[in-house]
Amino acid sequence: MNEGIAGKLAKQFINSKITPLLMVASLLVGIMATFMTPREEEPQIVVPMVDLFIPFPGAAPSEIEARVAKPIERTLTEIPGVDYVYSTSMPDVALVTVRYKVGEDAEKSMVKLWSTLMKNMDKMPQGVQFPLMKKVSIDDVPVLNLTFWSKSKDPFQIRKTAVVVADELKKIKNIGDVEIKGGLKRQIKIVLDKQKLLKYNVSPLQITRQVQMANSQMTSGDFKQMNQEIVVRTGKFLESASDVGNIVVGIYGASPVYLRDVASVVDGPEEVNNYNFFGWAAAAPHGSVSGEYPAVTLTVAKRKGGDASLLADKVMARVSGLRQTVIPADVTVTETRNYGATASEKVMTLLEHLLMAVVAVTIVVGFFLGWRGSLVVLASVPITFALTLLIYYLLDYSLNRVTLFALIFVTGIVVDDSIIIAENIHRHFAMKRQPKLQAAITAINEVGNPTILATFTVIAAVLPMVFVSGLMGPYMSPMPIGASLAMIFSLLVALIATPWLSFRLLKTESGHHEEYDVTKTGYYKVFNTILSPFIESPVKRWMAFGVVGLMLFGAIALVPLKAVQMKMLPFDNKNEFQVILDMPEGTSLEQTARVAKEVSAYLKTIPEVSSYQYYVGTNAPINFNGLVRHYYLRQKANMADIQVNLVHKGERKAQSHDIAKRVRPGVQQIAQRYNGNAKIVEIPPGPPVMSTLVAEIYGPTQSEQIALATEVKKVFKETPGVVDIDWLVEADQKVYNLVVNKERAAFRGVSAEQIAQTLRMSLAGMDVGLIHTANELDPVTIQVRLPQSDRTSLHDLSGIFVQSQGMGTLTTRLRAGEMIPLSELVKVEEKIQDKSIYHKDLRRVVYVTADVAGATESPVYAMLDMDKKIQKLKLPAGYSINPLYTASPTTEDKLSMKWDGEWQITFEVFRDLGTAFAVVLVIIYLLIIGWFQSFKTPLIMMIAIPLSLVGIIPGHMLHGAFFTATSMIGMIALAGIMVRNSVLLIDFIQIRRAEGIELKQAVIESAAVRTRPIILTSGAVVIGSIVMLFDPIFQGLAISLIWGGILSTILTLVVVPIVYYMAEKKSK
Amino acid sequence: MRIDGTKRLMLISVAIPLFFYGCSSQELKSVKNGSPDLPVTVENIISVRTSGESGGAEILLVPKSAIVRKGELTGILVVGADDRLILRWIRTGRLLKDDLVVLGGLDKGEFVVGTYNPALNEGVTVKKGPRVTEEVQSK
Repeated sequence: MNEGIAGKLAKQFINSKITPLLMVASLLVGIMATFMTPREEEPQIVVPMVDLFIPFPGAAPSEIEARVAKPIERTLTEIPGVDYVYSTSMPDVALVTVRYKVGEDAEKSMVKLWSTLMKNMDKMPQGVQFPLMKKVSIDDVPVLNLTFWSKSKDPFQIRKTAVVVADELKKIKNIGDVEIKGGLKRQIKIVLDKQKLLKYNVSPLQITRQVQMANSQMTSGDFKQMNQEIVVRTGKFLESASDVGNIVVGIYGASPVYLRDVASVVDGPEEVNNYNFFGWAAAAPHGSVSGEYPAVTLTVAKRKGGDASLLADKVMARVSGLRQTVIPADVTVTETRNYGATASEKVMTLLEHLLMAVVAVTIVVGFFLGWRGSLVVLASVPITFALTLLIYYLLDYSLNRVTLFALIFVTGIVVDDSIIIAENIHRHFAMKRQPKLQAAITAINEVGNPTILATFTVIAAVLPMVFVSGLMGPYMSPMPIGASLAMIFSLLVALIATPWLSFRLLKTESGHHEEYDVTKTGYYKVFNTILSPFIESPVKRWMAFGVVGLMLFGAIALVPLKAVQMKMLPFDNKNEFQVILDMPEGTSLEQTARVAKEVSAYLKTIPEVSSYQYYVGTNAPINFNGLVRHYYLRQKANMADIQVNLVHKGERKAQSHDIAKRVRPGVQQIAQRYNGNAKIVEIPPGPPVMSTLVAEIYGPTQSEQIALATEVKKVFKETPGVVDIDWLVEADQKVYNLVVNKERAAFRGVSAEQIAQTLRMSLAGMDVGLIHTANELDPVTIQVRLPQSDRTSLHDLSGIFVQSQGMGTLTTRLRAGEMIPLSELVKVEEKIQDKSIYHKDLRRVVYVTADVAGATESPVYAMLDMDKKIQKLKLPAGYSINPLYTASPTTEDKLSMKWDGEWQITFEVFRDLGTAFAVVLVIIYLLIIGWFQSFKTPLIMMIAIPLSLVGIIPGHMLHGAFFTATSMIGMIALAGIMVRNSVLLIDFIQIRRAEGIELKQAVIESAAVRTRPIILTSGAVVIGSIVMLFDPIFQGLAISLIWGGILSTILTLVVVPIVYYMAEKKSK
Repeated sequence: MRIDGTKRLMLISVAIPLFFYGCSSQELKSVKNGSPDLPVTVENIISVRTSGESGGAEILLVPKSAIVRKGELTGILVVGADDRLILRWIRTGRLLKDDLVVLGGLDKGEFVVGTYNPALNEGVTVKKGPRVTEEVQSK
């Protein structure tokens, strides 16, 4: 008897002492790896994204666009690996965002970017300042937020405490960025007194100069004397407010004018620039205080590759240690975010699910093979997973929900190889034709090689998913890699460990002496009655095919009928969401705070909300979403973020998405009352995008683009299910342009720069230096500014004076130092602030954004719905818009529109998965051709693949679930599994026929013999997947595997043998 | 009694959550003091006045006595639509006699507590007493 690889391998190991050692060793390394692999909730996605801030003070957006943004964009697109270049040209500054292809090395990308930028800095116009370059990465998202709040302390004092704590926390090993949001810093304020300035003949600019000059100290050198060097230092830094006040800033008559004579110098909190409050809500822990309190948030990020839960524990331990020493009793520290805990919890739940899956599968196997058989199969699982976890650790993967789901997903599949081998050994032991050892080896020989082939077909099905590109790629890649690795290990385990175990554990039942006859088994009788009529009567056969075809057609028809909707990923059930509030540009900080407070007061009443915190004038700690949406730039007076924390998902019935849907109308109603726009932002289940729905509008001029955008926005508003509509066009903001009368200024010896600087100092204030104190952790700036009460209207500008520079300027005959009122030199023009100009890949674009919720949950349907309306829009130019889906428009001469947002990722994912599926089919086909040496047989086997749709699509309808990317993964994996079943089936028919058995008999016999392992393996997949049904994201995968698995197994067992029979009969 | 390492660890792991719990609930007594359900009569409820500036633009005025200060924060108690008091943060400008110019955070015609009384808390329902509706246009 000739032996295949499988047989040889089994023979080597079945009686070897090394086998148990190998098994124990792999278990041990696996356990070690599990503890060493860092844990997190979401997989690490590296999207090298770099923000470039290029200041060009004074320039209008259009100038910045033409002189700064465009030239830089052009050079940046030349860098290899750059995916998109976005830019925003705002007044005074350009923001250019470069996004690299997913997976590009972050450091290398930075170097390339830096060198390209530097190469082109000489082409920048004069006045452009040095660019600020900021890398944005997933590790910037804080994993832990601590909110410091107090009933009696004010923001200035709370921040002081937070700064000390932050300093202490920074000493913890492996901690990332520690930041403080909100609160007021210490500042030395030089508050100018206009009357006194005029009286003493001192100008603000003069003060700045004097303060800067007084604040200096340096090492001047050394004296050498008597073999010694004595260091000489000169000057003294300003150390306190009184130091600052004692600076001489001018001369009046014969006496010096001190700074304290013309201004009050105040050491204390800076002027209010943010409102940050914390409050407990309806579902607060028992005994919490009501009301809201000034708060300061301390955010802790982790370092790359660090373990979030370990870090969070360390930080919390440190904070409770600091409670006795640096945190005063009346400052409460509340943990408002802990991704470490959620990650740990998720990982634990998943491991639990994994265990449940394994146990469930074992029980199923036990039904068929007895407890000894199930023990053999059970033993193979931990070994397989141990090895896979080791590889995860070696590949630098973390234990997150995707890597663990990969394991749950393959639980049903990895046991298959062991099941097939154990089942056949069991069968051969039962047949009692050979001695035990010989029987085992024969059994392995019989199914070993098709098992190897079958394993590779499944791997071939799963592995091409690695090639999913874009943001979803790294998100999904642990699935195919983890699953494939587990498959290979399971094959090795099946060929090495399972025979060893089976040989020892499985018993040859005694007292069962009659010769084994397949025709007497129950399976045979069943298949004989089912298959015989179809084999004998062609009419019945075609009727059966017709019925199956009709079922398939009916199932597919459910998709266009919208009974099953497509969506990339459904929302996960999280413990938080955010409200993003945008007031019209030009709204004061206090007005924004007022609206934020009102919205919070509403949110407070929602029964599931445990606490909230609103941030006005500073951004809330960002989450995954905020990274891509640039929420960390939300620090203007007209913007507020509200962080809403829900009670733990175990303690509430409603999913976070449903709560978000429920509060949306109420929140928006309040915002609209004040002309604001509020959005409910949930944590995305997959990669973040700018918005779920994005319409990019291109066109020849900005005004035409905005006009079309207005129309599109209207269409958005009219479409049910489209919510949170917004656009990236600023509201009209009033601007006073103070135009310098050049002639007059020259006549009085005043330069335009002097005027501009004086005004900036008076209104915005100007930092003129730092005071040098040893015991302050935050730098303390010295700021010159007019008091709040003196800068409220144009009227106040009248009291500001500039000094004439005198005859030195050669344009005046006034003496130097003459005070000239500003109002004499400038003319006021009122206008509207220029709007920011957005670019995407060098094209001017206006964005209209929205989310979908309620009537339709999937953006694709909303898009199709709106498409019809947008096409009907009347454009002044007389043509109609045809929204584009996949590519940017070719020309900017005509108005055009492209869909982006989640759609772009959906499109990429389904495109890549579709391609992967096609490749899978080809590879499977080739593999089977190689094995069976026939072009026709593989096609028969692959009939099973479309049959899985009969189960998958109605299955989704039954669960009311979306057909998601994970459903697609399930469908692809199922293709491999189903083909494997056919392989095992047909391989057996061929073996029987080679033994000289007639075709019909061979077909029925093989169906009967193979039913048990096929039902066992499919049953394992189905049972193993049930635990996944409870996860919102991977539900689709579970539905595909369960319903597709059941239906296609049943159909395979009937359809494949019949088709094979037909094909073979004809060829005879 | 000697406490060995593991025991100490256990003690700490029990103590920390307890500690946190203790901290968050230590201010139990003050929950909703001033019982918001019982209306409090406040005499001095006034409406925010406007005044025409010489420059032409309108400005909002509130009495200096109405201002609530918390460190650098400046607030005022506003009577909401449901007759409850809300602490509103505002930005103030110049002082005109006994009135402060409000630059942001308030609307014309809103009712505010004219004299700040620390006993009045946010969330308290007020009964508008004989309203001191001062002459709307001063000067």
